[in-house]
Amino acid sequence: MTKKIEVQQAVMAADLSYAQKIRDLLAEKGILMVNLIGSPGSGKTTLLERTLAGLDLKCAVIEGDVATDRDAQRIRATGTPSVQINTNGGCHLEANWVAATLEQLPLGELDLIFVENVGNLVCPAEFDIGEDCKVAISSLPEGSDKPLKYPLLFSEAGAVVLTKIDLKPYVDFDETLYWDDVTRLNPKARRLRLSSVSGEGMEFWIKMLHDWCEAKKASRRS
Amino acid sequence: MHELSLVKSVIDSVESLAKENGWKKIEKVTLRVGAMRQVVPEIMKFAFAAASQNSLMQGAELDIEPVPIVVSCPRCGRKWGEERMSMLCPFCGSPDAQMEHGMELSIDSIEVEDDDEEN
Repeated sequence: MTKKIEVQQAVMAADLSYAQKIRDLLAEKGILMVNLIGSPGSGKTTLLERTLAGLDLKCAVIEGDVATDRDAQRIRATGTPSVQINTNGGCHLEANWVAATLEQLPLGELDLIFVENVGNLVCPAEFDIGEDCKVAISSLPEGSDKPLKYPLLFSEAGAVVLTKIDLKPYVDFDETLYWDDVTRLNPKARRLRLSSVSGEGMEFWIKMLHDWCEAKKASRRS
Repeated sequence: MHELSLVKSVIDSVESLAKENGWKKIEKVTLRVGAMRQVVPEIMKFAFAAASQNSLMQGAELDIEPVPIVVSCPRCGRKWGEERMSMLCPFCGSPDAQMEHGMELSIDSIEVEDDDEEN
């Protein structure tokens, strides 16, 4: 004999409770956390290097990679504290790892924490790590079909960033199609196009981050 | 391969429910998985079979109930599915469309071996 028991429990319930703890902690401290998600080679670390140089905020970076601490080293070279998480084969970061990593950061001094997730457009979109906002990053050479091929990420992102726009003369990229698809999936996402190399579009991105941090601090005061 | 993480979480949840309720053997676990979740059922089942070895779920069936995408528009009241996947209402253009279904990811039910003599 078997009996059937109705459960109705979220998968990843334990990890979701870590995500909520992170959210509560960062709300109390007024720190913004942004989860950067994009393919390997989409320019996430380079964008971070340029962003950290241009931001008038106290930042820290959590780096997620399958192996090596090369990205954390690149970030530390900018003078920003950075902690590397190696997933040893895992394709995404989970909230329990991020929670443990936060203990290594000087939270009392920070305005903004960037999490650079493992390079992947699929799995990191699936896991809530307690961030305020996911940012979907894709680069011009990856092609204009990325939003519809990876709908979860692009529909969950608070901002969509198209990088490497300085390569436009050299690659076949239908920008109208790309932004039309982003709009269909996520009409309310902030849309940015920039080049970390030429600096085009960086001002708008930096201003958006400043505005978000200010809003986060204001919500803590109210 | 985020399926393995999901499966490990399912196994942990079912094990703690089994401990609370004194279940000895699990026959079947049914999940509800929305179409937006990018879960490959075959990989999920393979991962479940591998990760449940030597647990009270060993040999149990993992049933995945797919939930299709349903988006609705609060302005014109129309609904649509994956065939016109859009959060911008294709009928009236409202940007306030809501995903009603498609994001589900839950343990729906568990079938356990019933060794309670009194029932």
